[in-house]
Amino acid sequence: MVKPSSSAATKDDARALIHSLRSAYSATPTNLKIIDLYVVFAVSTALIQVAYMAIVGSFPFNSFLSGVLSCVGTAVLAVCLRIQVNKENKEFKDLPPERAFADFVLCNLVLHLVIMNFLG
Amino acid sequence: MAKSPIFILFSLIITFTVTNSFSIENPTDRRILVLLDDLALKSSHSIFFNSLESRGFDLDFKLSDDPKIALQRYGQYLYDALILFTPNSERFGGNLDVAGILEFVDSGKDLIVAADSSASDLIRNVAAECGVDFDEDPSAMVIDHGSYAVSGTEGDHTLIAADDFVQADVLLGNTKIEAPVLFKGIGHSVNPANSLVLKVLSASPSAYSANPKSKLSSPPSLSGSSISLVSVVQARNNARVVFSGSLDLFSNKFFKSPVQKAGSSNKYEKSGNQQFVTELSKWVFHERGHLKAVNVRHHRVGETEEPAIYRINDDLEYLVEIYEWSGSSWEPYVANDVQVQFYMMSPYVLKTMSSDKKGLYLASFKVPDVYGVFQFKVEYQRLGYTSLSLAKQIPVRPFRHNEYERFIPTAFPYYGASFSTMAGFLIFSFVYLYSK
Repeated sequence: MVKPSSSAATKDDARALIHSLRSAYSATPTNLKIIDLYVVFAVSTALIQVAYMAIVGSFPFNSFLSGVLSCVGTAVLAVCLRIQVNKENKEFKDLPPERAFADFVLCNLVLHLVIMNFLG
Repeated sequence: MAKSPIFILFSLIITFTVTNSFSIENPTDRRILVLLDDLALKSSHSIFFNSLESRGFDLDFKLSDDPKIALQRYGQYLYDALILFTPNSERFGGNLDVAGILEFVDSGKDLIVAADSSASDLIRNVAAECGVDFDEDPSAMVIDHGSYAVSGTEGDHTLIAADDFVQADVLLGNTKIEAPVLFKGIGHSVNPANSLVLKVLSASPSAYSANPKSKLSSPPSLSGSSISLVSVVQARNNARVVFSGSLDLFSNKFFKSPVQKAGSSNKYEKSGNQQFVTELSKWVFHERGHLKAVNVRHHRVGETEEPAIYRINDDLEYLVEIYEWSGSSWEPYVANDVQVQFYMMSPYVLKTMSSDKKGLYLASFKVPDVYGVFQFKVEYQRLGYTSLSLAKQIPVRPFRHNEYERFIPTAFPYYGASFSTMAGFLIFSFVYLYSK
């Protein structure tokens, strides 16, 4: 192994890694992919709000908190749902996915009730 | 039944006597007790006494050893002011003593004290209590070889022509005193720790205080312009006191004599004594420089009613009218340095008030963003004027819960994010449930 070729080798390794990750992820069931998309949406909304707060200041702080926490809470609940409905996760094999989704909806309702109260 | 007309007459007399004296509405002194060592002073100082009487004062002359001297009867003061032309009395007749004189001043009454060389301990004690220390040497006089008054016979330079006046129109009137003031007597120093005492007439830098008859063996204890010839004190209760180191300063002889200061070619037909003494007596008897503040009020901008409580960030106006007593009527006081404080432990707002030149002062400002119990304060202390100290308490409350803005434009992205998350939740539920 000579030095100049090592960076090229690293680049190849990285490419191979991403490729294998992507191919592994494409094997993920569609319902989990939908959840992942939903999580990405929630987290990016939260990040946008934090960036906005950094620019305009923290004045209506309760509004900021409820805006960000609604996104973060949504993301956390979605991740919980994903853990519970994942077939490969043996921990929740006794829990039917319908029950998991019902829990998710109930928790979301409670979360948004709190958020609406705290928003204004 | 027959008694009632007499009773009414009696009460009328009492009312008249009470209203004719010093009062808040009419602050000029009316009844003055003059204590003299010698009744000859009454004629030798007659110009001064006559000018007081012509200004409406009621003078009561008594010898200092008169056993009937009494300042008060049944707890009421009989006089509004006291003139002590008694440089040599060691004690007064009656039961008047140093404590009695100080009590008189403490109750807001006025005092003129004239000492002389060989001033008695009594006079020195009164002066020392007021922050004025006469030269301890009983034979000392103020000597000035630099600015003595030129007279026909060359003397020992103890007759001084002094013209170092304090620069205050309220004390010495608007007209400048052109001619020097003749002074012959003892010098004093004012206590530097006492902020209420003030030099009105200072000696020149070449003056010193010593016995003119003996040779000067040690440096004089008092020298230069730190020697005060005439000083005034205005107590915190606005009582006014004048101390003069010379009784002759008030005499007819000095009033009328021509004066020429050594080293100066200006010769004046008449000394400045009469003007100086008259103006100073106007001040000390509250014919000038006495302020009153009335009609203190405040309200929100655009309203006229005085609220019981303000809210933070309210815009308000504070108004006060200040008048100065001119001896016969209240005249508008015009100044540009009256300040109001909005005060809670420390001033949150300190604002100079604008004046309409008719005595009305106005300041408008915004209540700070702090709630609590505040005070409107006006602390006005100016040289020669009576001090004004106004305080009015006012509470300030925070916003009520329904006084905040309902929707804040800055928070719209947060509202949007919350609602879009909810919409996202609905869409997600549908997509998740129906995607197979």
